[in-house]
Amino acid sequence: MSRTTDRREVAVRFLLNGEKREARVDPRALLSDFIRHDLGLTGTHVGCEHGVCGTCTVLVDGRSVRSCLLFAAQIDGAAIETIEGLGSDRDDLHPLQQAFWEHHGLQCGFCTPAMIMVAKELLATNPDPTDEEIREAIAGNICRCTGYVFIVEAIRAAAHQMAGERRADG
Amino acid sequence: MAEHEPGRLVGARIKRTEDPRFLLGQARYVDDIVLPGVLEVAFVRSPMAHAEIGAIDVAAARSAPGVHHVITGEEIAQRAGPIRCDSTYPSWQGTAFPALATKRVMFTGEAVAAVVADDRYLAEDAAALVTVDYRPLEVVASVADAIREGAPRLHEGWQDNYFVKRHFVGGDPDTVFAEADGVLELDLITHRQTGIPMENRGCIAQYDRAEETLTVWTSTQIPHLVRTGLADSLGIPENRLRVISPDVGGGFGIKGNLFPEEIVVCVLAMETGRPIKWIEDRREHLLASIHAREHHHTAKVAYDRDGHLLALRVLMYVDCGAYSVYPWTATMDTGMALGILPGPYRLRHYECEGYSVATNKCPLGPYRGVSRPAACFTIERVMDAIAHAVGIDPLEVRRRNLVRPDEFPYTSVTGLVYDSGSFLESLDKLVDVSGYHGLREMQEAARREGRYLGIGIGCYTEQTAHSTSEFVKRGVPIIFGYEAATVRMDPSGTVTVHVSTHSHGQGHETTIAQLVADQLRIPLEDVKVNFGDTSSTPYGMGTFASRSAVLAGGAAIRAGAEIREMLLRFGAHLLEVDPGDVELADSCVSVKGVPGSGISVKDLARFAYHRPEKLPPGMEPMLEAGASYDADPGNGTFANSAQLALVEVDPETGAVKLLRYVVIEDCGRMINPLVVDGQVHGGIAQGIGGALLEELVYDDDGQLLTTTFLDYLLPSSTDIPDIVVAHLETPSAFTPGGMKGMGESGAIAPGPVIAAAVENAIGPFGYAFVNELPITPERVCGWIDRARAMHAN
Repeated sequence: MSRTTDRREVAVRFLLNGEKREARVDPRALLSDFIRHDLGLTGTHVGCEHGVCGTCTVLVDGRSVRSCLLFAAQIDGAAIETIEGLGSDRDDLHPLQQAFWEHHGLQCGFCTPAMIMVAKELLATNPDPTDEEIREAIAGNICRCTGYVFIVEAIRAAAHQMAGERRADG
Repeated sequence: MAEHEPGRLVGARIKRTEDPRFLLGQARYVDDIVLPGVLEVAFVRSPMAHAEIGAIDVAAARSAPGVHHVITGEEIAQRAGPIRCDSTYPSWQGTAFPALATKRVMFTGEAVAAVVADDRYLAEDAAALVTVDYRPLEVVASVADAIREGAPRLHEGWQDNYFVKRHFVGGDPDTVFAEADGVLELDLITHRQTGIPMENRGCIAQYDRAEETLTVWTSTQIPHLVRTGLADSLGIPENRLRVISPDVGGGFGIKGNLFPEEIVVCVLAMETGRPIKWIEDRREHLLASIHAREHHHTAKVAYDRDGHLLALRVLMYVDCGAYSVYPWTATMDTGMALGILPGPYRLRHYECEGYSVATNKCPLGPYRGVSRPAACFTIERVMDAIAHAVGIDPLEVRRRNLVRPDEFPYTSVTGLVYDSGSFLESLDKLVDVSGYHGLREMQEAARREGRYLGIGIGCYTEQTAHSTSEFVKRGVPIIFGYEAATVRMDPSGTVTVHVSTHSHGQGHETTIAQLVADQLRIPLEDVKVNFGDTSSTPYGMGTFASRSAVLAGGAAIRAGAEIREMLLRFGAHLLEVDPGDVELADSCVSVKGVPGSGISVKDLARFAYHRPEKLPPGMEPMLEAGASYDADPGNGTFANSAQLALVEVDPETGAVKLLRYVVIEDCGRMINPLVVDGQVHGGIAQGIGGALLEELVYDDDGQLLTTTFLDYLLPSSTDIPDIVVAHLETPSAFTPGGMKGMGESGAIAPGPVIAAAVENAIGPFGYAFVNELPITPERVCGWIDRARAMHAN
């Protein structure tokens, strides 16, 4: 892709879903476009390109960020997590993915990967959130299909499931 | 092992089989499709609402880095015709919606030129270099501007600025108004809103010169209609045009249209010989996709002192924007509101004058609920106004006016046949489930603490799965009366169902499979549902108007039943018994009453294709059946609902907090209650957005002021309370299995329900009739001021 007219590229090294990667990126390439079109990970979606809808959310060093508001050139040295870093197939789902499935936490599926990434960040810092805390945590991610009711249920269920797994692991 | 028992799937709360690909990030939306050599498009869009186009200078853009092609309106007009969608009504005045504007631009955001470059970044750079000489014309930015004396005519050859004028009179309103105990006049406004699928529009076109075939991937709800519309515009035979609607990130009606951009992308693919992709950005979406809802109703109400609605007269204006949209025409909102406005009430004297008005705004089209939210707003606010006028609880006023159980099938004053319903039972159930009387006590207690809680209720009946006669009556050029399905069993005994509808969140891959698996008594996992590709699915209209479960589901049931008959006939032949003596159960055809006598569906399927000598005489080696379904008697089947909202209003700021929302939903027999609940929640959330937040604001120059999500506000997780949903199941007498549609249902009533709750909450300040949606803090403060002023006088 030739997104610039002057061809100056920036070298970046980063961790992508735990794997070391390096790339040369155009200075004005958005992180969202870089992830989708250069890295080929199309599970991260783009909904508004002005940082409001949250659909492009990925985790950078464990924190949720809107990948449409970052340049790819800014990720040098960072660890990026996308939805592709969670489950691999229908028999190997992350507890959040499984809970979204069980509780009908998705309809068209477009906001779903970002919603799951935000929920993952929440449960990493707050493993037993109240419904209110769940609603606050996902308030920056617009879902137009579900009315959020089943998403909140799914995240609560995943939290319980993951707490149970931690207890089992001792 | 099968997770669910075959033959018992309909009615089961089954999690959706399509979900894993979405959960894993493996779904394929348009922008996820990778084609070698693809180029990207950026559109040059008009910054003016109404202007003549003079010279267009594309020289700088053509020589910009990475640019392959630039095309303007005059050039594209040589290759593709405009979008026309004409009503058959006598008063109709039509429009030609060009792929790119030629002589005039008619709304801000209308596409004027298109730039093709190596990628979107470079295409946008070059698009900024295109200069257009606009000569401003007088802007018609509202209905008032359009209908005033001396308003400029927006379209050549028009007598005035009305697409269509409708008039209906039923009963004898003149006499009833003259004799009524009381008469009210109400002004009701639903402002412009839109559906906002989280995935913007987008399409890719690829022309295969060897095959002389154009393939178009587009994010649409109506792939077959897009193909026909493109074929008509481009002059390409339909068998050389394939439209694929892949995974679609929400539609809500907005993607149920043929768009100019789709035509442009096709022309560019043919001209350049390269695959061409256009992915819309959100600003384009807000400016130039489809807007909806903008209704202004003036209602005159005749009532008696017991709270009965006796007669209603409505003057209705719908701001339809610049062009008539395909395949709906600009008659849609007006005609539909006119017909459904009496709602679930026993109204026998009704007059409606309705106008579809042209303005210099984005075209108006379908959005979940289509004009029913505005119609419901009017009739429900009428009920509350009567309740206030006669001093009777709004709940009781509704009870006195609702169609009663013994009156079904009920023919409304506008001639709609309400097949069945639970209007009164739903209201009673709402009282129970919501704890209505307890809420009234809570409200009183809160008032003593200086808090302003309010309760609103509302009812509606939703016309769903409208079929042939309804659309004939509406005077649309394409009669959307049916859907179709093909069921194909392969030699392994597994089944593919090809449906003409499209699923973009509604869960058809699960629900249609439930219907067919039950017909064939095979496991759910053995049925795959395919849609979206015009080369493999039967022709049909698509997904809109709460129709897919009933119409595509009905077609799938019919086609499945044919396969079932084939299996029974073949099985009986092999078992050497009469076809009447066998049954299909547990994936086997067996002699009735003789367990273990059976031959499996898998064996039958294998034999049918590989051992045709075993087939009975006259039976073909093909386990395939196609069917269509058009729900008789044609005007659809009617779902119904009763809803309640509890709100708290902050009188200082005008902020409205939604504390509780309760829904009683009756959509007949449910295929999958989990999916139904999801649809209800989503519809309610969109309805809440429409009630409290969402408004597309134009200024007097026709400039859209709400072009980002910071201006056009969407409900987030903290705006939506827990939604309590309870069901009644009153089966339709007309449809297979008694199913009714319900996809739009939730979006219809929250406007009037929340309006009533807000009006109730601010009641202590005096009476102010809440008559506008959305109910923004500014408007709430205005109503409180008005209530205080009334009170002071």
